Amino acid sequence: MTGTEPILKVEGISKAFGGLKAVQDFALTLNPGDVQGLIGPNGAGKTTCFNLLTGVYRPDAGRVQLNGAEVTGLRPYLIAGAGMARTFQNIRLFPDLSVLDNVMLGSHLRTRQNMTQAILRTRFHRADERAIERRARRLLELFELDTRAEEEARSLPYGDQRKLEIARALATDPKVLLLDEPAAGMNPQEKGELRGLIDRIRREFSVTVLLIEHDMNVVMKICETITVLDYGVTIAVGPPGRVQSDPKVIEAYLGVPGEAH
Amino acid sequence: MASAGQIEKPGPTLMGSAAIGWLPTIAIILAAVIIQITIRPMLGDFYAKVLLDIGVNIVLAVSLTMVNGFTGQFSMGHAAFMAVGGYTAATVMYYGSFRLFGEASMAGGVLSSMMSDREGPVPYFTRGDLLFLASTLFGGLVAAGCGYLVGLPSLRLRGDYLAIVTLGFGEIVRVLIQALTTDALYDADEIAATPVYQFPKYIGGALGFSGLPFYNSLFWSLGLAGLTILTAYRIKSSTFGRAFLSIREDEIAAEAMGVNTTRYKVRAFVIAAFFAGMAGALFAHTSGVQLNAGELGFLKSFDIIIMVVLGGLGSISGAAFAAIILTILPELLRQPAFLVHGWIVAVPLIAGGIALRMLAARRRADTSIPKLLIGFGVAVALLAIAAAIARSRDIDLGRYRMIFYALALIVIMIARPQGLLSVREIWERGLWRGLGNWVRSLRRETGEARP
Repeated sequence: MTGTEPILKVEGISKAFGGLKAVQDFALTLNPGDVQGLIGPNGAGKTTCFNLLTGVYRPDAGRVQLNGAEVTGLRPYLIAGAGMARTFQNIRLFPDLSVLDNVMLGSHLRTRQNMTQAILRTRFHRADERAIERRARRLLELFELDTRAEEEARSLPYGDQRKLEIARALATDPKVLLLDEPAAGMNPQEKGELRGLIDRIRREFSVTVLLIEHDMNVVMKICETITVLDYGVTIAVGPPGRVQSDPKVIEAYLGVPGEAH
Repeated sequence: MASAGQIEKPGPTLMGSAAIGWLPTIAIILAAVIIQITIRPMLGDFYAKVLLDIGVNIVLAVSLTMVNGFTGQFSMGHAAFMAVGGYTAATVMYYGSFRLFGEASMAGGVLSSMMSDREGPVPYFTRGDLLFLASTLFGGLVAAGCGYLVGLPSLRLRGDYLAIVTLGFGEIVRVLIQALTTDALYDADEIAATPVYQFPKYIGGALGFSGLPFYNSLFWSLGLAGLTILTAYRIKSSTFGRAFLSIREDEIAAEAMGVNTTRYKVRAFVIAAFFAGMAGALFAHTSGVQLNAGELGFLKSFDIIIMVVLGGLGSISGAAFAAIILTILPELLRQPAFLVHGWIVAVPLIAGGIALRMLAARRRADTSIPKLLIGFGVAVALLAIAAAIARSRDIDLGRYRMIFYALALIVIMIARPQGLLSVREIWERGLWRGLGNWVRSLRRETGEARP
């Protein structure tokens, strides 16, 4: 033990939908500054895990501790407030709002103004709005989206929409960032940039990253630890090299030769 | 170089800059006073009444925009909050006037008068006005309280529950007022002898609450309309507006970004109910109107929904414009003799539109603005033709006005399914910016063409 407290501690969470055990006894420990990966074949329960961690689903069993606080089964906005932000596999931006407004919304949960102040346009309200906008523009600059700040989010190309989702998540000032297939739909060059970007936000925002990714190149290069899921069960945990050569993992991805399902 | 003196671009963010502090509030109230004192006497009673209705309808449409437009929920019972606010304010006003002043006749000052022939020197603001202000606010608060009770359970759920619950709520309010109450008390002694808590029983029943003093005026109605628009705009352009809109855009993402969606849906609903209640209070004290719950049922709610959808879900200015157009249109259609002269408007619109269109086509500029002009001109021309034919055949077109009204709605919704302004405001994107861009594109082209 290094003496650092884990930032996210997941103990044996499970979720069943009717008879389907989507996730069984999932455990994970993220230490501050980690970049960990969650992989597995289609339908293995990766996104369900994210939904359990962020409160979209309530786990049937197990505990989730974020920065020492119990967040198991809380509503998503409370978990976001406790410091866990996420992106979505099928991008969920606010399509009719401008790129800038999308990021500015991310700061909403950190605002201290109240609605009366907004209606009366008090000095505090105005200063707060300016601060929110400044912060959002800085984030957009980092993601090289600042030139398109005034456009509608829906008008961005796919890769930029993915980046905007990450920028919006960072605007919530998270301690843990969950990225659900951030490289999906990106071309090789964009994937290369994404790796650099994830590395940079980890340092500049001191966030801890957990990502789901299908692209093995991305996962192997940026993750220090990888958890492999298959049919909701964790079949391997470890550094990329070891996981890659784990027979169970190979079996899950390629199937066992000669075995008929 | 890029950091120090850089000017931040004003863009279509929802952040406003001009609306600072108390200034706009004071300006709106002043403008309402000036309109009431100087413009009201110049208008005929008919036009003044149309303007009065426009004000109340703006309040209703803009407040509903906060629910149906901002948060994307679908309320179908806005008129019920109008009824709650209207009956509450009427009860306070009517019985309050008796208890305080000994009678319920209009005792307001210049600002409250819609009558053009009041005798003698009239004070600007009286204790009657003060009571009217208080009962209007109280009506709004009671409506807001009802909004909270209705919204809290139904807004927790996703989907269409709110539509069903609000529709039901509207009918319950209507039936309760009609069935559980009886005629108002008219005798001063009887009123003096009745305990206060019994007054809500005597609010007119199925026949409506008559005998109310007519306090509503251009000052109250346009002033409230202005303040409603200001409040809605300030909410929309703040972090709370973004929270509202995020719910409509993607509820799951909004929640994941830390927005307590239930709380904000309830808030939008309560604020909307507050303003609808105050609109109801003004409506109840309007000359020529008899407060009757039967008229504040779901048909009235639909009228308001139509304004909001037509203006563009989420657009404050759109809702206000739609309220203006849809208040004037039926009155226009009522006056075929007036419509025949529509040529005066239609011909220049069509001619100008075609000329601009040709010019734009030659310069390869955007043609949407000329198209809009032509479309509007053609619509007016068709109305004028219809009016002329009707006159020559001795048909009373006014009787068929609801058909034209419905046709106009259908045509507009086919031409612009996203509503007149979609989610944006007119100063952000709508006509002004389109017009500006278009003029600029023309100028650029001419500049290049010159030798």
